[in-house]
Amino acid sequence: MPRKPEDSPALDQPAANRRNFLKGAALSGAAALTPAESQAATPVPQQIKITPPGPRQLAADTHPPEADPVNQSSSGGEFMVDVLKSMDIDYMVMMCASSFRGIHEAIVNYADNRKPEIITTAHEEIANAMAHGYAKMAEKPIATIFHGTVGVQHASMALYNAWCDRVPILAFCGNIIEADKRLPGAEWVHSAVDPLAMVRDMLKYDDQPASLQHFAESAVRAVKIATTPPMGPVMLSLDAELQENPIENRAGLRIPKYTPVIPPVGDPGALAEAARLLANAENPVIIVDRMTRTPAGLERLVAFAEALQCAVVDTGGRMNFPTRHPLNQSQRGRAVIAQADVILGIEMNDLWGQLHAHSDRVHRSDRGVTRAGAKVITLGNREMYSKSNFQDSARFQEADLTIAGDGESSLPLLTELVKKAVTSDRKSAHEERGKKLGAARLAAVNLAMSDATLGWDASPVSTARVAAELYAQIKDDDWSLVGSAIRFNWPQRLWNMDKKHRWNGGSGGAGIGYNAPAALGAALANKAKGRLSVAIQGDGDFMFVPSTLWTAAHHRIPLLYVMHNNRAYHQEYMYLQAMAGRRGRGATKAHIGTTLTDPNVDYATVARGMGIYGEGPITDPKELGPALKRALAVVRRGEPALVDVVTDQR
Amino acid sequence: MKVLKYALLAAVGCLTFGLGSPSFAQQSAGDAARGKDKYMAVGCFTCHGRSGQGGALNYPAPALVDLPMPADALAAFLRNPVGDMPPYAAAVLSNADVADVLSFIKSLPGRKDPKTFPLLNQ
Repeated sequence: MPRKPEDSPALDQPAANRRNFLKGAALSGAAALTPAESQAATPVPQQIKITPPGPRQLAADTHPPEADPVNQSSSGGEFMVDVLKSMDIDYMVMMCASSFRGIHEAIVNYADNRKPEIITTAHEEIANAMAHGYAKMAEKPIATIFHGTVGVQHASMALYNAWCDRVPILAFCGNIIEADKRLPGAEWVHSAVDPLAMVRDMLKYDDQPASLQHFAESAVRAVKIATTPPMGPVMLSLDAELQENPIENRAGLRIPKYTPVIPPVGDPGALAEAARLLANAENPVIIVDRMTRTPAGLERLVAFAEALQCAVVDTGGRMNFPTRHPLNQSQRGRAVIAQADVILGIEMNDLWGQLHAHSDRVHRSDRGVTRAGAKVITLGNREMYSKSNFQDSARFQEADLTIAGDGESSLPLLTELVKKAVTSDRKSAHEERGKKLGAARLAAVNLAMSDATLGWDASPVSTARVAAELYAQIKDDDWSLVGSAIRFNWPQRLWNMDKKHRWNGGSGGAGIGYNAPAALGAALANKAKGRLSVAIQGDGDFMFVPSTLWTAAHHRIPLLYVMHNNRAYHQEYMYLQAMAGRRGRGATKAHIGTTLTDPNVDYATVARGMGIYGEGPITDPKELGPALKRALAVVRRGEPALVDVVTDQR
Repeated sequence: MKVLKYALLAAVGCLTFGLGSPSFAQQSAGDAARGKDKYMAVGCFTCHGRSGQGGALNYPAPALVDLPMPADALAAFLRNPVGDMPPYAAAVLSNADVADVLSFIKSLPGRKDPKTFPLLNQ
């Protein structure tokens, strides 16, 4: 129905209030948008009189009420910072966002950017992966913070990796709970009724505090839960009003005392039974994955293995056992597992996968690789906390004895019980077993060295050559391998990895985009210890999170990235090839969708563009050693560097 | 041990496919240059490396420089491989191609004494 011109509001009346002014403007706008319709009803064009708003109208639109304060002497954000200080949180890794501007400002000014110090990233995935790598290396969590909704979604991949890897992160997001406090536009789409619902399956604990006292208690509770094995990320949603508004009664607020939780030791009776079985076994094998939490963990495992003189297979979830220890049988794990009569799995995520072979063929099948009657014992906290949706539990492995308890904490008692259980006649047999294992390990090392000679002078550079050249440059430092690429296990085969900080484990969730930022987080932890951090960096992983380099430069975090540039998501390339072969077709098109060529990425230029030293691409293996030496000189003076090496696929 | 198992399986396959015929044996002296092109084109390098040094898919892929089997046995194996190794139909990799690939593999430098590599003795 066309409107009559006389229906338009009187815009020139001085008494018109703000709402009517806007309404009128909207209506006249609507009229202006339907000229054809208006002309059809009223062929004579109508002139609409528009008068600018008068002084009263302008005041109503631009000035707040006189009673509305513009200054405040305290903020909830400041109290939140006090809570973080009470728990010795060193860093707050962030992707800046207005929904947490209240606590952000409190950190930089109230806390003078100390405890926590802000680490700036350009993506929430980078922030959380940095916290992931840091926590494993430093053995303590740091905090991250990002937007509600959009930030949580960006962060979710890194949170998933941390969840699967059982690593603590104290994560926060901003949110504006009260709808009438949200500005039109972005604040609505950045708010949620329950912003943590999207990631709850990846969190060990979460909350949305409704008061500052609630925040204090929930934050301390969160850190205690996060750092109790099995560890995991925790997250609090912080209401913007709670962060920004003045503190009404600071004297009435109390920060609860933070005390770390002592991890549980396994039941003594069950450990004694395990010790009896192990002491009397002919060929016991220890398999470990995510066991070592502190340097003591590695030392305890050495003492335990030596008490038994038995094989140890380290699957690399953490730096559990020295690579050059005579009892380290990790490179011949399948062989020792096949001979074992008692198998002890400690903090294993996928014990089934170690005890079975699985065929990825048209009809998938599997078979056990253990000998008949082999006893299986598990020690760890796998069953103590779990969730159901994400299938990171791996396939169920039955066991003869399942001991709930923290592996690292339980080892001293287990070692003492083993020593008591080993009789003098068994002791000599054990020593003989240890000698045989030592000889077998030497043979495995010789084979690894022989394997490494294959393709030594080839171009693209062999991955073995990369590892050997890098080790030559760092072996005399207190080095730390803070990250590596998929299937790049040459350091474990060739290097002397003898301390907990020599290796920081993998991603947990196999989520690409982990390695570059997690390595940087670990390097940040190493910086305080004066260690030399190096990382093997897959090109595909790097392409997810290239701005990690900018964060490295900005915060001057010393770390050498050695780019394992095989110009492909190569695992996927091989899978596509397998599909084609299965269907009687060739692999000539397997590069489609799986490779990073045409154009080739010049990672050294990318590095320089992000503000760090970059060199490469290195295609001649003879040029690699000198290039690494130059880059490491940069790292040793406290800055990050990257050397791009064009490598063979694996 | 694994290589021997492959060889045995390949020998069985050889009988099954009738690949031990004189005509195929005559083709088994392949051309290394053509074999290198084929090795790259059909993707042998993806799991076994450009230098035949080995690699990994779900499980380790063996170093091909250690390959003891003759061309006909290798061809039989490729038609019906074990484990996660993808099969290669004759339409993709003919028996003549297999012979060429094998010639290329045999032309590779192979293993050297690691004691002569200072970087491997650190």
